[in-house]
Amino acid sequence: MLLILAATIASAAALSITAPKALVLSSDGSQLRSESLVNPPSTPITLHSTDTLKLTFTVQEKDQGVRPHQTFLRFYDADSGEEGIQPVRVSASGKAKFDLNMARPPLSLPPTTDKPIHVSLILGSFTHPPAKIYLFDLVLPESQPPPQHPDEASFHVLPEIQHTFRPEQKVPPKAISAFFAGLVVSPWLVLITLYSSVPQKLTHIGSPNILGFITLLAAFETLLLWYWVDLRLGQVLLYGALLGSLTVAAGNRALSSVAKWRVGK
Amino acid sequence: MAGPKTPAQAPSAVESLWTSYTENTPSRLKLIDSFLVFIMLSGIMQFLYCILVTNYPFNAFLSGFGSTVGQFVLTASLRSQVNPQNKEQFKEVSPERAFADFALGSIVLHFFVFNFLG
Repeated sequence: MLLILAATIASAAALSITAPKALVLSSDGSQLRSESLVNPPSTPITLHSTDTLKLTFTVQEKDQGVRPHQTFLRFYDADSGEEGIQPVRVSASGKAKFDLNMARPPLSLPPTTDKPIHVSLILGSFTHPPAKIYLFDLVLPESQPPPQHPDEASFHVLPEIQHTFRPEQKVPPKAISAFFAGLVVSPWLVLITLYSSVPQKLTHIGSPNILGFITLLAAFETLLLWYWVDLRLGQVLLYGALLGSLTVAAGNRALSSVAKWRVGK
Repeated sequence: MAGPKTPAQAPSAVESLWTSYTENTPSRLKLIDSFLVFIMLSGIMQFLYCILVTNYPFNAFLSGFGSTVGQFVLTASLRSQVNPQNKEQFKEVSPERAFADFALGSIVLHFFVFNFLG
């Protein structure tokens, strides 16, 4: 179906327009400018706010008037990229007429600046190849600028976010630190004083079992201190496991000897 | 009943408690008690520092304070298990077993404390 259509279009003759004419009238009807648009005019056509532009042309295919399915006038501002599309009524014989009255401008006009807008004709048809014909340049009175879309800001680079961070925590002055360090160490003095005041006899501490056990416990503490400064987790776990098995054996022996001594007493 | 004035000869409750403690407590329990006092004072001092000055290396405060609390708990349980007066309650736990538990628990506690100390 599409292939048939394409074949029909390719074999049909191209659309063209004949006798294109532009007429500019002032508000009292006097003619200000008359141009034939077979070739685009050398100067842009200027319309003031009370003028009227009358555009006439005939659409033909091989010298025969034809009505294309779509006829549009395109007003295009090359600087801002704004454009407006105006449909044009074409009679069955191909004759077309368009009036642009600046006293009541149509909604299809784009926002205008002081630069000229290019006016071109777009013809669309199911049975002919499409045609785009450049007609003339038009200078219209300046309009309001186009309104800004509410989401416009999100399509440009947003302002950089400035973060405020909490200020760095500081170490307190050395004097205070030293004083409180002394305060925290002072319980050791209390402990030593209390220990010396308690009367006790350390029997059996010389026995090798008990000494060995105590040394192994001290070695465990040293291992943990070493871990704090230097070792890694895997190493300390490995050494701890080795030391632990030794300590368990030594502890078993030491504590059972103490139990025997206690029960025997 | 007796008024607010107590006779001069009769000792106050605190004094009699103290005398009974020093005379009747075995010396081993007194060792453990002095260790408990030491731990308590350590914890109080660290807490005072944290409140008064700064908690800046917060993990250090937590591990230090936590070590005192944990060690206090372990030592208190050791004391209650070793006390000869509690022998009826702890029939299956000999004092040596209690000490072994205490040593193991302390080592594990120290390991975690050093981990967190940083």
